[in-house]
Amino acid sequence: MNEIMEYLPFIIPIIIVELVLMVAALVHLLKYKKFRFGNQILWIVIVVFLQIIGPILYFTIGRGDE
Amino acid sequence: MMAVLELKNLEKSFGKLEVIKDLSFAVEEHSVFGFIGKNGAGKTTTMKMILGFLQPDAGEIYVNGERVAYGNSKTNRYIGYLPDVPEFYGYMSPKEYLRLCGEITGLPKEVTQARSKELLSMVGLENTNRRIRGFSRGMKQRLGIAQALLNEPRLLICDEPTSALDPIGRKEILDILSIARERTTIVFSTHILSDVERIADNIGVINDGKLVLEGPVQNIKNMKRKDTIQIVLSNQEMNTELMSRINELPFVLEGALEKDGILIKLTNAEKFGKEIMSLLVREDIPVLRYEILEPSLENVFLEVVG
Amino acid sequence: MKGYLAFTKKEFVEQIRTYRLLICLSVFFLFGLMSPLLAKLLPEILSGMDLQGMVLAIPEATAMDAYAQFFKNITQMGIIVILLVFGGVISNELTKGTLINILAKGLGRHTVILAKYTAMLVLWTLALAFASLVNHGYTMYMFDTSDISNLLFSLFCLWLFGAFLLSLIILSSVLTGGNFGGLILTVVVLGGLLILDLFPKLEKVNPIYLSSHNLEFLTGALMPADALLPVLVTIALLIGNILVSISLFNHKKL
Repeated sequence: MNEIMEYLPFIIPIIIVELVLMVAALVHLLKYKKFRFGNQILWIVIVVFLQIIGPILYFTIGRGDE
Repeated sequence: MMAVLELKNLEKSFGKLEVIKDLSFAVEEHSVFGFIGKNGAGKTTTMKMILGFLQPDAGEIYVNGERVAYGNSKTNRYIGYLPDVPEFYGYMSPKEYLRLCGEITGLPKEVTQARSKELLSMVGLENTNRRIRGFSRGMKQRLGIAQALLNEPRLLICDEPTSALDPIGRKEILDILSIARERTTIVFSTHILSDVERIADNIGVINDGKLVLEGPVQNIKNMKRKDTIQIVLSNQEMNTELMSRINELPFVLEGALEKDGILIKLTNAEKFGKEIMSLLVREDIPVLRYEILEPSLENVFLEVVG
Repeated sequence: MKGYLAFTKKEFVEQIRTYRLLICLSVFFLFGLMSPLLAKLLPEILSGMDLQGMVLAIPEATAMDAYAQFFKNITQMGIIVILLVFGGVISNELTKGTLINILAKGLGRHTVILAKYTAMLVLWTLALAFASLVNHGYTMYMFDTSDISNLLFSLFCLWLFGAFLLSLIILSSVLTGGNFGGLILTVVVLGGLLILDLFPKLEKVNPIYLSSHNLEFLTGALMPADALLPVLVTIALLIGNILVSISLFNHKKL
């Protein structure tokens, strides 16, 4: 238990950032539904299961043009 | 009258393909110039050279008396440009986009604001506050006109402003251009001749890299004209006989039997028409309809470009 | 000048609304946070492993280990993120045609390049500063940081390397067409520089130096004076990249 307490200052921010990125990407991809490649289901899987890297990939190369 | 735009002996090739060969024309202030040509005739190439986006192989371009330099053209401050498919930053709203345009051209804030409001209502986007990313083709075209007119340009250049649009969108754009002609000189390219007839004062027809025809729309319609007389007989059996008689007449250029009657091409319908009528009376041929067809720009165009 | 400010502002708006700012700041925040954490955890994980009786003598982690992780993260993952975020900085606008309206308004082409570079540089500076602050804070919380020297200079080297990389992205983006052309060319050039780095004689005229010796400044093995040549070479290359980009862009067909 003490161990976990010691690492809380690390774990909480990491979880917050992960969630922020995931939610931002999910909201965006559910709203616009346009992709340079792949489809919506594929990107939902990537964004939800590939922590941090998934949303980054979505925003940088997966997202369709405006 | 001063020429806002002047092209002198322009030439441009892409590799071995000579797109523009010796193109010259001038556009006078407060006129609407229709730049007509088939697809691929070099209209867009010419416009891009006027904007300094492409380098001519030879020749000179003057905007408002200043020579256009390739790459970094100062003369663009006199120009408003509407590309054939205008593209915007999808994450901005129309208002934000016009604000950016105003800042780039160095307009004072209040002026940009006032003009944006006026222009957006002119193009019918005054209540559209969402971002540009969801706009239709026609909406983008209308915003394109608004951004092109923002800095009150001396010269508005529109590249095929109507060709990608449906009939309603086309009418909207032509109406907007008719309003814009009150404030500026307009050069627009097109291959849709009815659009030219609606709003242009002068036209230039480009074919094979050269201007093959230039002048006021009205003069061109009359000058080059071959009149056409259409005759429909009540007794269809007499068609062939009449045809042979008509083709004997010296002033007739061509007589042809078409499904909507006999079409006679001749140089002056009013003068020689009487002779055709007297022929009909003399031979006692009953006529259902006799009509002098209006000359259309399309006929002229097909004739010179043909 | 007005045009430059306006276009730079547009770039900032773009960074925010296309989520580039969010991505850069969150990723670099995580780098700052995870580096000391990894340094702390790695020995514990290793000692916890059952190595069939073998005993590993693993020294206790120090602040240097945290910084070693930090530099490794930034120069590997960090650079990949920068490439992904900025790879299409000019080619995107060229392939889409969004620059046409803007240039037809008489905005100088050099202004476009300079404004874009400014905005990229500001974002890189923010992200690196953020990561450095977080990293240093957590490192102080976990370890003793009293024997760290030349920290600011070492970070400056990393920053300068990033600034050089951004100028390289701009040049590659102007040189090539297509959406990913700039990205690919930048990676190729970076690969070339890494190969050149294998030759010790060329080491000091290579910007890679600024991203591969950061820890040695902290331990005191290298002093700022040692990096004078690489710093000057990198600044010269960076300015050269921007100037060549401007001149090429001025003559680009649109």
